[in-house]
Amino acid sequence: MTAIKVENLEKDYGKVKALKGISFEVKEGEIFGLIGPNGAGKSTTLKILATLLMPTGGRAEVYGHNVVSEADEVRKLISYLPEEAGAYKNLTGYEYLQFMAKLYAKTGKSVEEMLKLGVEIAGLGERIHDKVATYSKGMTRKLLLARALMVMPKLAILDEPASGLDIINAYAIRQTIKRFAREEGVTFLVSSHNMLEVEFLCDRVALINKGIIVEVGTPKELKEKYNAENLEEVFMKAVGVRL
Amino acid sequence: MSDFFVIVMKELKDLMRNKQIIVGMIIVPLILFPALGKMISFGISEAKEETKVILVNFDEGKYGNVLISALKAAPNVTVTLIDAQTVQEVIQKAQAEGYNVVVIIPKDFSKNIEANEKTYVEVYAVFKGISAGIKESVSEGRINVVLQVLNEELAKLKISETVKGNPEAILHPIDAKSYSVIQGRIVDVPPSVVSGIIYSQAFSIPLVLFIMISYVSQMAATTMAAEKENKTLETLLTLPVKRITIITGKMVGTAIIALVASIAYMIGLKYYISSFSPENMTQIGITLKDLGLEMTPKGALLFGISLFLSIVFALSLAMLISVFAEDIRSASTMVSMIMMPLLFPIWILMFKDVSTLPPAVKYFLYAIPFSHPVIASRAVLLKQYGIVYAGIAYLLFISGAMLYITAKFFSTEKVLTAKLKWGKRRGAEK
Ligand SMILES: Nc1ncnc2c1ncn2[C@@H]1O[C@H](COP(=O)(O)OP(=O)(O)OP(=O)(O)O)[C@@H](O)[C@H]1O
Ligand SMILES: [Mg+2]
Repeated sequence: MTAIKVENLEKDYGKVKALKGISFEVKEGEIFGLIGPNGAGKSTTLKILATLLMPTGGRAEVYGHNVVSEADEVRKLISYLPEEAGAYKNLTGYEYLQFMAKLYAKTGKSVEEMLKLGVEIAGLGERIHDKVATYSKGMTRKLLLARALMVMPKLAILDEPASGLDIINAYAIRQTIKRFAREEGVTFLVSSHNMLEVEFLCDRVALINKGIIVEVGTPKELKEKYNAENLEEVFMKAVGVRL
Repeated sequence: MSDFFVIVMKELKDLMRNKQIIVGMIIVPLILFPALGKMISFGISEAKEETKVILVNFDEGKYGNVLISALKAAPNVTVTLIDAQTVQEVIQKAQAEGYNVVVIIPKDFSKNIEANEKTYVEVYAVFKGISAGIKESVSEGRINVVLQVLNEELAKLKISETVKGNPEAILHPIDAKSYSVIQGRIVDVPPSVVSGIIYSQAFSIPLVLFIMISYVSQMAATTMAAEKENKTLETLLTLPVKRITIITGKMVGTAIIALVASIAYMIGLKYYISSFSPENMTQIGITLKDLGLEMTPKGALLFGISLFLSIVFALSLAMLISVFAEDIRSASTMVSMIMMPLLFPIWILMFKDVSTLPPAVKYFLYAIPFSHPVIASRAVLLKQYGIVYAGIAYLLFISGAMLYITAKFFSTEKVLTAKLKWGKRRGAEK
């Protein structure tokens, strides 16, 4: 089944054309990576799919539901991790997860199950009972990732999930994402400008540059096509940067 | 548990742990107001103390002594007679021994009175330091009362010596008998007392309303802007929860805290006011009820509805405004800038009755939602329900519209992208 279907999607912020008609599809259970340099339009694409922004042209569907006209339906299926996000500072990490679990509980799992899973993914130990205000950047990121995954969405939209994490935590998160995709059938749409991370994590990737998708395929296909050793090289060649 | 309830609970938890809110809600009203009242009432209770008068009598006739016995008989006054040669000497003595007031009866006091000439008494109030001077003025007032009584008595005496008839009737041929007519009912209470009662009512309701509305809108703006500042808004807006539920959940959470805060303010204010108006109306023993101005359950309900609707308006407007702010500080400034002009007319209603205002001002006040609970608070006392119903109908419309606009706004992307940069953006579109 098709989890995401994007057709000729456009987005203008006033004068700035962030997306100039992009199209791609993501299959159910797939980990799909959107990669590109700063300002390429990754976050914009993800925000449109997360029902936060309205496209100025084209269309986008999540499990057959239009993200504009059926936003309420789409929100029941997704969980979105913004690029820059925080949690409620006056709540403890545990209370934050509890609040979120209660709002998602109607979509299947029970609050207790979600909480147990969330606490495990966050991996904050006893600190989960401290106020979020006392957390470091990385700790907050882990809490937010835990909340995005514990609700067992049909589609998880993660904008640079590992940003701000050290290599050990980034590794652990990638393992968790893979496990959720393989064992639970969760579909992932992940953005990153770390090509190596994406190469390890994603089943398929789309290269995006200046609001246009330049290539789509598995990391292996792309490397072969461009006769490159890694995705970084593929990207450079695809956008025509002289090495 | 419903989403709505979950959001209200989270909002309450979040707000209750905010130190600024707790300070503003409890410390200020419950500690500062009574403390302020204490400070003022301290001055008043000192003034209530005995007036200690030091008195020098240079008079050689009988009337000097008549005045002294009259002063001695006056309540809260103690008189000490001393011998002295000059005014300077007496004042020095008064200062040294803590007297408030010096009274000097001049030499020809009795002689002048007997000769039907005007005479005088010198009264010196001794100010210690530069406090409010309540004590000194009260003391002088007491002496003046004694002098007035004495004046009357002397005048009556003289009248009875020269003219036939009732000296009192000759001195004061006309008396006014004052009654008040309230709602067509004659009440045997002077209008000054009635107006005093209504006056205190007229002030307290607008004042509490003013505090409550400012408080509630500041808090609503803070909770919305905090979502932006702490970058929790984007996540919140992608949750499987209806936008209207998010907004109303936040509003109810805020309103509950605001209610607690207003109660704290009312208690604080009551202490504050009662601490320096000990002779307030309830102590005289006349209440609104005695005057036939009681609030019926129906009236209370209508007033409550009017108040509720105006709070809904304030909350929706504040939330809408805070959408345009990037952080808590600017949200708070923007809300004050827009709320204050809307709240200002409340002060007009403190001093004026709407029906007495020129039509332009009247309709201007009617157009402002916050006028209606104030108007309703008076109208229900007079059982003039027509204007209350009209006010509620208007509030229902305007608060509903405001809530609708806010909810609509939250279901567009403007809630994330709106910033107060309209001028620039309009330019960019051309
Ligand atoms: N709110 C906004 N208003 C105006 N322009 C915007 C806004 N958000 C993004 N843009 C512009 O849209 C383009 C795409 O931005 P986007 O955030 O999607 O990039 P990105 O690929 O996520 O980059 P990064 O790797 O830096 O996160 C950029 O040129 C950016 O300046
Ligand atoms: Mg981005």
